[in-house]
Amino acid sequence: MAKVYNWHLKRKVEYPYEEARPKRQVAWVFDINKCIECQTCTVACKTTWTSGKGQEYMLWNNVETKPYGGYPLGWDINILKMHKEKGNDRTLFEVSPDGEVVLGYLPEDEDYMYPNFGEDVCYGIVEKGAFFNGIHQVWMFYLARICNHCTYPACLAACPRKAIYKRKEDGIVLVDQERCRGYRECVKACPYKKVFFNAFTRVSEKCIACYPLIERGEQPRCVQTCIGKIRLQGFLSHPNNPRPDNPLDYLVYIKKVALPLYPQFGLEPNVYYIPPIHVPKQFLYQMFGGKEMVDRAIKTYLNAKNDRKLLGAMLLFGSTNKIIHRFRVDKNYAYGYDDKGNLISKVPFKEPVYIRPLYDKKRDVYRHSIP
Amino acid sequence: MKRVDLKRRTFIKLLAGGGLTLAASPLLAEVFKDVFNKFEPINIENPLAFYPNRGWEKVYRDIWNYDYEYTFVCAPNDTHECMLRAHVKNDVVIRIAPTFKYHEATDVYGNKPSRRWEPRCCEKGLILVRRFYSDKRVKHPVVRKGFYEWYKDGFPRDPQTGKPPKKYFSGRGKEPFIKITWEEAFDITAKALKNIAETYSGEKGKRYLLAQGYDPLMIDAMKGAGTQVLKFRGGMPPLGAVRVFGMYRLANSMALLDAHIRKVSPKEAKGGRGWDNYSWHTDLPPGHPMVTGQQTVDWDLVCVEHADYVVVWGMNWILTKMPDAHWLTEAKLKGATITHITCEYSATATKSDKVLIIRPGTDIALAYGFSYVILKEKLYDEDYLRKYTDMPLLVRMDNLKLLKPEDIYENYEPKPLKNFIKVVKKGQKTPPIYKQPSPIITEKLRKEWSDFVVWDTRRNAPRVITRDQYGKRFRIKAALEGEFTVKLKDGKEVKVRPVFDLIKQYIMENFDPDTVSEITWAPKEAIYEIARDLAKNAGKTLIAVGMGPNQFFNNDLKDRALFFLAALTKNIGRVGSNIGSYAGNYRAAFFNGLPTYIAEDPFNPQTDPNKPVKLKRYFTPESAHYFNEGDKYLKVGKKVLTGKTHMPTPTKSILVSNSNSLIGNAKWHYDTVMNVFPKIEFIGVLEWWWTASCEYADIVFPVDSWAEFKNVDATISVTNPFLMVWPKSPLPRIFNTKGDIEVLAGIAKALGDITGEKRFYDYWKFAFEGKAEVYLQRIFDYSTTFRGYKVEELVKNAEKGIPALMMSRTYPKWVGYEQMVEDRPWYTKSGRLEFYRDEEEFLINGENLPVYREPVDSTYYEPNVIVAKPHPAIKPETPEKWGADPNDLSAYTRQARNIVKPWSEVRNTKHPLNRKDPRYRFIFHTPKFRHGAHTTGVDSDFVALLFGPFGDIYRRDKRMPHVVEFFVDINPKDAKELGIEDGDYVWIDADPEERPFRNWQNADKEKVEVARLMVRARYYPGTPRGVLRMWHNAYAATFGSVRGQKENENGLAKNRFTGYISFFRHGSHQSCTRGWIKPTHMTDSLVRKGLFGQKVGKGFVPDVHCPTGAPREAFVKVEFAEKGGLNGVGKWLPAEKGIAPTYEKEDVKAYMEGKLI
Repeated sequence: MAKVYNWHLKRKVEYPYEEARPKRQVAWVFDINKCIECQTCTVACKTTWTSGKGQEYMLWNNVETKPYGGYPLGWDINILKMHKEKGNDRTLFEVSPDGEVVLGYLPEDEDYMYPNFGEDVCYGIVEKGAFFNGIHQVWMFYLARICNHCTYPACLAACPRKAIYKRKEDGIVLVDQERCRGYRECVKACPYKKVFFNAFTRVSEKCIACYPLIERGEQPRCVQTCIGKIRLQGFLSHPNNPRPDNPLDYLVYIKKVALPLYPQFGLEPNVYYIPPIHVPKQFLYQMFGGKEMVDRAIKTYLNAKNDRKLLGAMLLFGSTNKIIHRFRVDKNYAYGYDDKGNLISKVPFKEPVYIRPLYDKKRDVYRHSIP
Repeated sequence: MKRVDLKRRTFIKLLAGGGLTLAASPLLAEVFKDVFNKFEPINIENPLAFYPNRGWEKVYRDIWNYDYEYTFVCAPNDTHECMLRAHVKNDVVIRIAPTFKYHEATDVYGNKPSRRWEPRCCEKGLILVRRFYSDKRVKHPVVRKGFYEWYKDGFPRDPQTGKPPKKYFSGRGKEPFIKITWEEAFDITAKALKNIAETYSGEKGKRYLLAQGYDPLMIDAMKGAGTQVLKFRGGMPPLGAVRVFGMYRLANSMALLDAHIRKVSPKEAKGGRGWDNYSWHTDLPPGHPMVTGQQTVDWDLVCVEHADYVVVWGMNWILTKMPDAHWLTEAKLKGATITHITCEYSATATKSDKVLIIRPGTDIALAYGFSYVILKEKLYDEDYLRKYTDMPLLVRMDNLKLLKPEDIYENYEPKPLKNFIKVVKKGQKTPPIYKQPSPIITEKLRKEWSDFVVWDTRRNAPRVITRDQYGKRFRIKAALEGEFTVKLKDGKEVKVRPVFDLIKQYIMENFDPDTVSEITWAPKEAIYEIARDLAKNAGKTLIAVGMGPNQFFNNDLKDRALFFLAALTKNIGRVGSNIGSYAGNYRAAFFNGLPTYIAEDPFNPQTDPNKPVKLKRYFTPESAHYFNEGDKYLKVGKKVLTGKTHMPTPTKSILVSNSNSLIGNAKWHYDTVMNVFPKIEFIGVLEWWWTASCEYADIVFPVDSWAEFKNVDATISVTNPFLMVWPKSPLPRIFNTKGDIEVLAGIAKALGDITGEKRFYDYWKFAFEGKAEVYLQRIFDYSTTFRGYKVEELVKNAEKGIPALMMSRTYPKWVGYEQMVEDRPWYTKSGRLEFYRDEEEFLINGENLPVYREPVDSTYYEPNVIVAKPHPAIKPETPEKWGADPNDLSAYTRQARNIVKPWSEVRNTKHPLNRKDPRYRFIFHTPKFRHGAHTTGVDSDFVALLFGPFGDIYRRDKRMPHVVEFFVDINPKDAKELGIEDGDYVWIDADPEERPFRNWQNADKEKVEVARLMVRARYYPGTPRGVLRMWHNAYAATFGSVRGQKENENGLAKNRFTGYISFFRHGSHQSCTRGWIKPTHMTDSLVRKGLFGQKVGKGFVPDVHCPTGAPREAFVKVEFAEKGGLNGVGKWLPAEKGIAPTYEKEDVKAYMEGKLI
């Protein structure tokens, strides 16, 4: 095992390969406070990439209701439990059983049976009338999930054929569909359970970050179709050199408002979540890297109303299908630019109001709000 | 899993053999092409750093690539209507995407929305790629076997009753359909319509109808015209100004048929009857016209940008307004406080700062609880109430009528009105709609209204005011409280009190927070906190009221009570301060030039596209609720409670488009099927998807899907400011379909052929010529909102994916701008927001004051009782007075049961079903879910899979009706008491007297098997005990689906003849509902604006003042049916695995508590 630097954990961790960060790392911010579990992302992905034979059960993108929901069933409960038993102050690589590179498990077929189990099911029983204010005693939230295109992917590490690789130009992690032999070591290894075995083609598949779109400067399908406007895809710079005008760097490295999912696993995942503000904190500490990170992110988020730059960055979510490389804000607007510096988005902090005349003489018509 | 041994050739063959979708096949082909050549070893040092073989990546690029894209509009029955882009390869749509061009929309003044509107789409739109090509499309015209025989036999009838022999109709819903040509389909339809109209015309028709048992008042309403028993409905017609509204144009042209049959002049001729939409769907908030004189107050959801406090009341905004959900979450991000009032821990609750869970249907009591605190703590603005509401108007305590100037003064002449109103004299013409500057009333109505009287506290005397004295023009210090004595012109003295005083007394005596907490289950501290929030944010609060409270019988009272709260807190009519009702996409009046289309005079059709059309409406609007009630109106004892202006006719023919809500997904669906349909002689359905409505049709016309329109059309939304236009689609038609308008024209042409009436052709000339744009341009030219737009230009923009903006007064749209910002009176008699209703119908029903009634069925207490301590203004007529039994609590009768009791008595009463059988103890309600726009989208595999927890694409449990199945949400503690495990199947039954259908006790077993509800139970800890929730968006069990799940080898609940698949093995979410018609929705006296334009009249208007039903009213029992485990063995998997609520294993519990770190 090599020793690589994991910036989430702020230490060197074990990994079978030497650290080799891509030129730029594809990354996402998902604002859970805006996710409506409409599954538009899921259907966008499924109708684009996984509508074929052997892919029926497969959701590269899914949205599950926490805490009960999980696709496959109980995926995080299972790995968290195993991890805890082995000692979760170390990463999944560091507590791997003998002869294996990473601690993992292979779900049973039936675990994929009900992909939206737990939909809208809250934790805690409502008996009769109730009033919740601030942190809700009865709670749930929606967790949208894709492949994390990890900096230290467990799937890649576990593949005996080295058929999984990370693209140097953008950090996208791919399963080579020609080379894969379907051993399912990756399925077992990925703690997020985002690699899927296709029983028809006999090879494993996973989210490809819609690279055909990214290559042409467009955000992936799940981002473009996200009507909750929870998603922003872009590229992270090297953790040592964040650029304050890069919205991803700004939200992740500088404001630290968006957090990695289960960073304790040690994969340095690249989907960053803004934690939900009404959920009991203990649950979020478990999920998003502990008290310090979660408390800070929530505090920052709640202060966005007073922080024009942060607010501007967040209002740019969903405003364009193109990838925003640079942004800035002024008094009334936030602006997004592509990699060549072209303006590709401009959004107001407040949608304008226009009043039309009661009588339009030129067109000889009265306009009414109550027609 | 078995290893698939594939040789390359076998694989290619397999590909060609089908079963694989187009999107996936290139991937597979690529992969397998090289799979056998790649065994040479490759040395990869570090896959993080370098990977040698990247050529394969082309696979996914090829999947992405496409030939061309085009725009269409996704137009299900929702309020969004998104323009979408279809990606096309080899003339097949392979994928759907948002346009990202909404921010380029503009109006004729150059106003533009921002990019924050992007993107607009949802899962229901994206899944269309699998619907356009689905085997559930209606693929060719078909006729039901028995009906075909009736037609071929020449429509024989019983000579005594006029009824067709049973043998032709007993197979409806059960027998196969026969494929026919378009010509035959048109001929059958035309001949059936003509035969039915002929049969029921004149004296002979009347005799027949009496012999068949129809009510004489309904027969009289026909005025002898057989065409009046022909019912037409274009469902939610704003979804297609031309194609859907066309159904009413067809109804109008039935006057030609009537003239032909009865040999009457155009003056006497009558068209068909056109059924309602917004009101039929229980979307109309019926109290809005009572308070404001017009259809509905609402605002584009983007208005939350401008509010500090938002109350989302009985509305699951996050689920039902998905593309506009971000405005709410962004408002919160920017600092607004969101308060959610709900009857469960909902999706919207997760986005809300404050969540209040209450007992369903008690919203009025809650509003009064808030009002109590605001009144008690004097947190309201008296001056606002004086200026903008009827609160200062005086009520005579002797007859409870408003005090009128003519009561006091001899020969009082109402004063001339000048403030934003036009009074037209008899014989004087009203201007066309687009030239109407303000509300318009007749002189007769103006006299009838007269003026009003307030108590002037400075002079200490009564003082006359007119409608003009509104807002800033009202400067009198009028009393809001107190009792005064007024001398009438005959010398008699009467006591009078201001409206405010009467309402205040009612609230202060009945709705203190302790009582309200008991009625509504709202914790007391929540009542105080939210009331004070509202007062603190007066003038800065938006109140979005949803479909939840509107689907209860007390819905008009709910509107009146909530408006009262909004008035107390000054939250009406401003961009960031308003109240709105949200349900359905309705305001057809944005297309208020529609009369040029649906009411063009069929006797003088205009065939020159550039010349004005002559208007004459021949069709009669009608509420579909009477049909749904069993083709009956409301009569209790001797008392007829349906107004003359509302009176329905018998229903003998139904022709509908876009209308699954009328049949397949209707309230009390199985009663309609089992008891009403046997009396209907023709059911014609235009559809592109085989719905449950098609299952019961006699003829089904296959129409173009939204992707295939060859005719331009337009649609609007009530919750966003965009006008969406369909360009003509470049996609070749997928099946043997026609556009809706072509079908209507085809039927008209066939009518012309059999009657020799040439004007049937001329009336639809532009449809035959493929120039629907002529009709659309006429509509635009005559509409206040669209005049100035050229269809041609909008089509060009639409081709690029750019919609237009609606041109109401404001962007964004909101109702009340003129009234509250420009200070112009409302459409009511007094011009003010009216809370007191002194019309006879309201007085006798005890609703002159906006009282609180218990729900009519969804209550643990005595249903529909008026909750009040003795009050001098609450004096309804009781059942005895009408010759009815006051103890008759049957569902039909209690609709008009006016019993008043204080809460201290009501709390000790019980629902009559519970009194007889204590197992009846659950409120059962059916709100709408995210995965369907009604039923659109839900049954396509990838969406079905995600609909709740039971979706399994491989159907491992063969009992599953589909790859998904429906479920009822039950509180785990209730379920455990009943011995029901999570995932078990249960039976659910409502009032056995009439549900699932009347006389089911004597019906054959098959009918009961179809209609009685059986579903999975899901443990859902977010619903209070005693409250069951089941989603609304399902395909009902039909005769064919029930046979299918028993006889099909794979157990699918699929009709072998039609391909229809149900979401249930038995019954549907409508097994427990009924229509419900409320007396105060059926008055002849309520003053309200008409549907289109500024004319104000009174009584019935479809979608404005008529019954709305109450589909969230049902009181039920639940019984265990089958075990939930795989194929009926043991527990359902998540319960077995210890992950489901209340089954949590130790580590699962630890996870929930955040202890697995």
